[in-house]
Amino acid sequence: MSEFFLTQVINFGAPLIGLILFLGALGFPVGASVVVIAAGAFSQQGILDWPSAILIGLIGAVIGDTLSYGIGHYAKDWTQQRFGTSPAWINASQSFQNNAGWAIYLTRWLITAVAIPTNLIAGGSEYKFSHFLLYDLTGEFTWIVLYGGLGYWFGSEWELVYDFISNFGGLVLGIALLGFGIKQAWNWQEKKKQALET
Amino acid sequence: MFAQKNLKQRAIIISLIILGVLFTAFFGMRAFRALKKFDGHGPPPREKVETDVELIREWMTVSFISKTYRVPEKEIFDAIKVSPLGSHDKSLKELNNDYYPDKDGFVMDTVKAVVLEKQPPPQPDSAPTAVSTPKTPAAP
Repeated sequence: MSEFFLTQVINFGAPLIGLILFLGALGFPVGASVVVIAAGAFSQQGILDWPSAILIGLIGAVIGDTLSYGIGHYAKDWTQQRFGTSPAWINASQSFQNNAGWAIYLTRWLITAVAIPTNLIAGGSEYKFSHFLLYDLTGEFTWIVLYGGLGYWFGSEWELVYDFISNFGGLVLGIALLGFGIKQAWNWQEKKKQALET
Repeated sequence: MFAQKNLKQRAIIISLIILGVLFTAFFGMRAFRALKKFDGHGPPPREKVETDVELIREWMTVSFISKTYRVPEKEIFDAIKVSPLGSHDKSLKELNNDYYPDKDGFVMDTVKAVVLEKQPPPQPDSAPTAVSTPKTPAAP
């Protein structure tokens, strides 16, 4: 799939990058990170104009994220009916509200695998849209400049960068899952201890 | 009821930890292996004309290869015996499927060979330094 899109980026330039990042932000498996790194390399080779690639790419990604936030927002009623009274859901929503800024920012470029669930949760938990937009914009800008910059720096060797980054993202996700699991286990033990004491 | 809830919570926590360990080990090893590939593969110098034909991929178009390797498009199209008309935006894979469906990898191999043959000679790293000719001392 991403090979098809790489050919089209060569042919159509920045507008296609915008479209791919828009689709990627909605959850379509278009290989958005490959395209961002490759676009950096293409800019270095003189195939793409980097300022317009950054701008149009950023617009596409932010519109896609806004739409998935909107989906979460409009599915709120259903979610509330289904899980609203569950203590786990209330706890998770509160926890998200406390760390939403970091969650939104980091899932744009570091733990991209959970970006869409984050958008849906942000929309569904009534997280303020202006705040979402600010963190989203900052995160997507970091993603495009960092990944695209590495592609630009490595030029025709950009595949090495992609190989490392895609695995590094999985590694960070693993560490995050492990950390979260250990924290939950700790909290659970503490609660158990308190229950025994009372 | 309480015991059942506890059991469920415990299962979720254990699953999270197991999944975390598996992801960390799997992707950690792959990331380490990918990092090792960087040995001796630093960023190429700016304005360097690409010469390594092993970096040619099936998704690339002839125009792209021509710009990257500074080999005229016509030379590449002539070598693969395809008319440039309507073929500029096609990838090597599409060209192979359209013109040589029974010869797998033909276009790719031919393009690599023609690029290797026709690419401009390597540029020296720096311009030669002008050496001034010693003046003959004036006769006393």
